[in-house]
Amino acid sequence: MMKLRAILIMTVYAILVAMTSLWMAKQSYSWFPPEAAAEAKLLDDLFSLFTGLGTFIYLGVIGPFLYSLVFHRASKYDMSDGPPIEGNTWLEIVWTAVPLVLVLTLSFVSYRTYEKMAVRGPMELVHLHMPQIIQPAYAEPFDSKPQQEIQNAVETAPIEQIDVTAKQWAWIFHYPKQDITSTELHLPVDRRVRFTLRSQDVLHGFYIPAFRLKQDVVPNHEIDFELTPVKTGTYRLRDSMFSGTYFAANQADVVVQPFNEYQQWLADAAAGSPTPAFNRAAFEYSQANDRSGTTKDKVAVRGWDTIPPAPPPVVNYAPKREQES
Amino acid sequence: MTNISLEAPEAVRGQPYPGAPDNWKRFFTFSTDHKVIGIQYIVTSFFFFLIGGTLSMIMRGELITPDADLVDRTVYNALFTMHGSIMLFMWTFPVLVGLGNYLVPLMIGARDMAFPRLNAVSFWMVPVVGILMLASFLVPGGPSQSGWWAYPPVSLQNPTGNLLNGQVLWILAVAISGVSSIMGGVNFVTTIFKMRAPGMTWFRTPAFVWSVLGAQLIQLYGLPALTGGAVMLLLDITIGTSFFAPERGGNPILYQHFFWFYSHPAVYVMVLPAFGIFSEVLPVHARKPLFGYRVIAASSILITVVSGAVWVHHMFASATPGWMRILFMVTSMLVAIPSGIKVFGWVATIWGGKIRFTTPMLFALGGISNWLFAGITGIFLASVPIDIHVNNTYFVVGHFHYVLYGAIVMGIYAAIYHWFPKMTGRMYYEGLGKLHFALTYLGTALTFLPMHPAGLMGMPRRVASYDLEFAYWNVLASIGGFLLGLSTLPFILNMVSAWIRGEKVGNNPWRAYGLEWLTSSPPTVENFEETPVVVSGPYGYGRNQPLVGNIPNPGLTQFPESLTQQQTS
Amino acid sequence: MTAERANPSGELRNAQDVEANVRQHQEHDAASNSKFGFIVFLLSESVIFLSFFTGYIVYKTTTLDWYPPGVTGLETRDPFINTLVLVSSSFVIYVAERYLHDKKLWGFRLFLLITMAMGSYFLFGQAVEWRSLPFSYQSGLFGGTFFLLTGFHGLHVLTGILLQTLMLGRSFIPGNYDNGYFGVEATSLFWHFVDVIWIVLYTLIYVWQ
Repeated sequence: MMKLRAILIMTVYAILVAMTSLWMAKQSYSWFPPEAAAEAKLLDDLFSLFTGLGTFIYLGVIGPFLYSLVFHRASKYDMSDGPPIEGNTWLEIVWTAVPLVLVLTLSFVSYRTYEKMAVRGPMELVHLHMPQIIQPAYAEPFDSKPQQEIQNAVETAPIEQIDVTAKQWAWIFHYPKQDITSTELHLPVDRRVRFTLRSQDVLHGFYIPAFRLKQDVVPNHEIDFELTPVKTGTYRLRDSMFSGTYFAANQADVVVQPFNEYQQWLADAAAGSPTPAFNRAAFEYSQANDRSGTTKDKVAVRGWDTIPPAPPPVVNYAPKREQES
Repeated sequence: MTNISLEAPEAVRGQPYPGAPDNWKRFFTFSTDHKVIGIQYIVTSFFFFLIGGTLSMIMRGELITPDADLVDRTVYNALFTMHGSIMLFMWTFPVLVGLGNYLVPLMIGARDMAFPRLNAVSFWMVPVVGILMLASFLVPGGPSQSGWWAYPPVSLQNPTGNLLNGQVLWILAVAISGVSSIMGGVNFVTTIFKMRAPGMTWFRTPAFVWSVLGAQLIQLYGLPALTGGAVMLLLDITIGTSFFAPERGGNPILYQHFFWFYSHPAVYVMVLPAFGIFSEVLPVHARKPLFGYRVIAASSILITVVSGAVWVHHMFASATPGWMRILFMVTSMLVAIPSGIKVFGWVATIWGGKIRFTTPMLFALGGISNWLFAGITGIFLASVPIDIHVNNTYFVVGHFHYVLYGAIVMGIYAAIYHWFPKMTGRMYYEGLGKLHFALTYLGTALTFLPMHPAGLMGMPRRVASYDLEFAYWNVLASIGGFLLGLSTLPFILNMVSAWIRGEKVGNNPWRAYGLEWLTSSPPTVENFEETPVVVSGPYGYGRNQPLVGNIPNPGLTQFPESLTQQQTS
Repeated sequence: MTAERANPSGELRNAQDVEANVRQHQEHDAASNSKFGFIVFLLSESVIFLSFFTGYIVYKTTTLDWYPPGVTGLETRDPFINTLVLVSSSFVIYVAERYLHDKKLWGFRLFLLITMAMGSYFLFGQAVEWRSLPFSYQSGLFGGTFFLLTGFHGLHVLTGILLQTLMLGRSFIPGNYDNGYFGVEATSLFWHFVDVIWIVLYTLIYVWQ
């Protein structure tokens, strides 16, 4: 009788947990910025799977945990001990084997997603002049749409090549075909883009959260990096690897636009003459070293000497300066 | 019934040499008693915990608004660097070494550590490290501002041009701390291998001792790698070699390998003793043997082994080749198995027990629940694609603070409360303890949970300013941070007042199994009047079996009947 | 693993007895513990070298211009003689240890002195080589790693010689080595360790060019 009740309770709880996990897995998509690249969708699907399983494990463990905290308390004058159960071989084998299978599965799924994203390892430093086509063997769906998008972008149009230079503390984007430089990254939608990442001084991190992609930029290395934007809009590029004093200010806008607008922008930019762009780090540095003490960017606690920022980059195109004081 | 402990003259209490102070002053001497050293470690490191915490609250003050408007960016960078360095090298490592120092010899029935003088030397290096760290605030150019990783080339940049700068002091401090830790590691490993009481076979050794062994083995194989990297970094800064300096042809990525080869396992150096504490506290306050004790004990060593091959998961977004990413993803995920074994074992331990919500029990339970969460987000981070998105974001910050504060600091608190009556002979105040727990648990959740969504949205770590979209989560985290600061107040009050005037509770107020509870509270200088001969496993709750064979009746107050041999001797 | 330390008599009347009892056992165990601890320490120490060696291998296999301009490789003849001297000194210190074991102090002192002389010769040879090299520690990764490895090893040799000096000095204290000679064993162990490291180092730097 007791056993039946226990099984019943456990079944009901398992169903509840499964439903909650499913709900969390669905919910997880809302925790991210917009999915602006094909790779982002792949990642979000993977993350959703992890969230669902993670929730299931969390609730599966915390349920019995809380249950015994509520129901297995000693009464006030009960000085006796609990039952001397020291272990249970079967149970222990099960809870070693199940996580093992689970993590191996998760590793495998992650690996497949990684392959589909076709993130290029930096060991492929040499310029391979062939697009990395995804083999059909990996084409089985977990959700095959983003992979299709990547593949279409690779197959239907030439890959856009953009050189990215990171320095303390600015991002400079160079479009080699048109020989244009910009401090704002413009990308055509639905096309495969290949970046060549370079750093002039220290480690930086090329990170666009809306694309879910990130790659450290290493001085003396040229790192190839590919992605496929699929959604127009303006996103943020952030420096993700700590790079010194003005690290937090080392950001840039990423504008994903339809191909014709992108072409137009390139043409306009080519017409523009190179001018120094606004650079947040250089601006703050000059403010901080302005000893007259009347500027608004003063802080409560003054700091120490810093590496001076590189002079503001001279580029064909710079976005209108944000309304800073 | 000879009551040895009462006959033991007071002279044995304090110092093992004549004329040594036998009061609070002994904590300021070069004592070689492992218990004095243990408490020295704990108190010193707690002092630095408060300093590190203050730094973090200034940081949370800066981050409560999106702009960098409270402190200058260089100050902010110094703050997070010193916060991380102090919290790890001056708080978490030393406090756990202190607990290990106090408990391991008692738990294995030894009279002291294997090398008492070496032990004292290891301890007295800790204040030196602390002074060096704090002194770096006073040198021109300020303290190190390159994060606690000290990644080159940023750590090689020296704006003032002085040879004596914050980064050099930082490396010196870390090196001395490393020497201290290696000496400690040698001491612990030798003690645990060679000095267990007769009859204490490996599978009669308490889980805490196993976990300390696992942790110290990591120190021994890992720390030298970090030391090697630090030496090369120091040479790069001071005499102009080119190991990690890219402009001179060096390879900054190699430093990351040196660094993480130790610094990831270092997490297990800290979390393993916390696991050990959970394994000790739960059986006592749930009155049940530790479920699957052998597997839990052995899984500590399994973690030691596996953790030697996971370090690259900190570098998935660095310049690592694809095969390395995949290989280390699998090894990193494998850590989930020994960790899982422990969590399941703990849940099974309290299942069907006679649970009492004492303060140490609350902290242990809270720590386990936080660890469960942190462990699951840890699996997320091991997955290469997910890590590529969240690496170096607040998701990671939230994750490791859940490990460090949620699990490890909670474990440390659990240990301090649990063994407080042993260390002082007095009982802490339960009400203050529960208040402390409530504030800590709430503060942990409020501070570190919001960091996860902020990270998923793409907020990088180590930023002094951020975009407006992250403001909401940061305000929450800042409020939580101040709450955590507040939570230490009842703890300090509790400890100080209970030590001075708490109720005297005898030698074994928890009615706990374990050799440490067989001796007086606080234990005399060499712990045991007679070396105990262990005759059974460490968690005999509910069995009514004796733990030691040669002490017919220890003659200690309030000793539970179940622990002593009644009929035979 | 555990030493038998139970007190069979069980008749301890006061703390002094307890103390005496404990001291006796402690001295008995101390030497064995120290040896164990020292081996653990050496194992840990070897990881520093291991990490330097790994660094050397990685640098050597990934750097394009490994040798600084004008340098084609290292001269191997004199270092080889050096190597022979250092490696054979390991046997000499073993002989010294045997003499001590047989309580023949003069033999011990003599062979210890020979070991020290050989170690010093090694250091001298090392210094001569350093002076004659056409590159410095600032000459790229090769220069840096070369001086790092040989310098760090040289420091260990120096430490070994200092330890040997200490042991030699202590042999003149009457009765110092009557109740065991852990210090000498440790010194000898350390010396063997330094030797083994050098063999690996020599292979990496001089043989593998």
